[in-house]
Amino acid sequence: MNWRRLNNVLHRDIGYVAVGLTVVYGVSGIAVNHVRDWNPSYRVEKVALQIEPIRATDRAEIVAEARQKLGVTQPPRNTFRPDPDTLQLFFRDGNYTIDLPTGRVITERTRPRPVLYEFNQLHLNTPKRLWTWIADLYAVGLIVLAITGMFVLKGKTGITGRGAWLTGAGVLLPVFYWLYHLYVE
Amino acid sequence: MRRAIVTAVVVTLCLTVGLSAAVKKYGKDLTLKETTKISDIYANPDSFNGKTVKVRGAIVEVCEMKGCWIALASDKEFQQMRFKADDGVIVFPLDAKGLTATVEGVVTVTVESEADQLEHGKKMAEEMKKPFDPKSVKGPKTTVMIKGEAAEVQ
Repeated sequence: MNWRRLNNVLHRDIGYVAVGLTVVYGVSGIAVNHVRDWNPSYRVEKVALQIEPIRATDRAEIVAEARQKLGVTQPPRNTFRPDPDTLQLFFRDGNYTIDLPTGRVITERTRPRPVLYEFNQLHLNTPKRLWTWIADLYAVGLIVLAITGMFVLKGKTGITGRGAWLTGAGVLLPVFYWLYHLYVE
Repeated sequence: MRRAIVTAVVVTLCLTVGLSAAVKKYGKDLTLKETTKISDIYANPDSFNGKTVKVRGAIVEVCEMKGCWIALASDKEFQQMRFKADDGVIVFPLDAKGLTATVEGVVTVTVESEADQLEHGKKMAEEMKKPFDPKSVKGPKTTVMIKGEAAEVQ
């Protein structure tokens, strides 16, 4: 087997293995890039409600009265009062923030976004441990794909022809952007 | 007899898996044995400044953007303390709100100028998608937080 055939076999087979991971990292990359505009992993639903003002003054009684007025029978897993006028009730399936003097309530339900949550967890390496090694191997695989990709074709469309211009453009893109970021942006 | 032993082993394994699943670890292992009350830190922040502590409390807020900090309810009313991890070291899930966390880290006391508070307040408002009133800033403010790399949530 000559070197170009070995190069092409490597490029092809690593490419096949990389498809799934590239989709995960690519989709998650776009999602996470826009984290200032949306939460890429969770859907947070907030709904305003109105109940009668809470009259009780003792903490335990405030919680009991709030639960009764909200019609919630299950006990909260935690409660918190950030200030004298506010009570927060935390349940497994959602949270309530109650303005005690007015009875204004904000309910909050947080749900992981299907598929995107899992993609983002893997992309951001939240599991750590074994995934760190898999992600490292994938990164090495991408480097090998990039290098072998340059030598798949020979001739006018290969690295000595059009490939040289396109590869050069790809290398210069981050260099020029970084200079622009440093001195212009 | 053999059946009883197998049953005992299966039950023990199930309990172990169940218990370990109930407590989720983030970052490094907790090392301190003694738990410090958040109210004690607030009562005398300077004496805790720079010291490593372990505190426990309900998670009342989670960083919506990166999951890099949580706010823990104090043992006293109307108090909460922020636990901050370096970006990417720990990512707290947004749905951890309401669970109980035990965290370990170094107490950091800083005095924020008005300008710093305005900048920080705007940034936080953007992160948490909440309104920020610049008029709420009145003079320098002492901020106490814990910076660390170890947490357990259950």
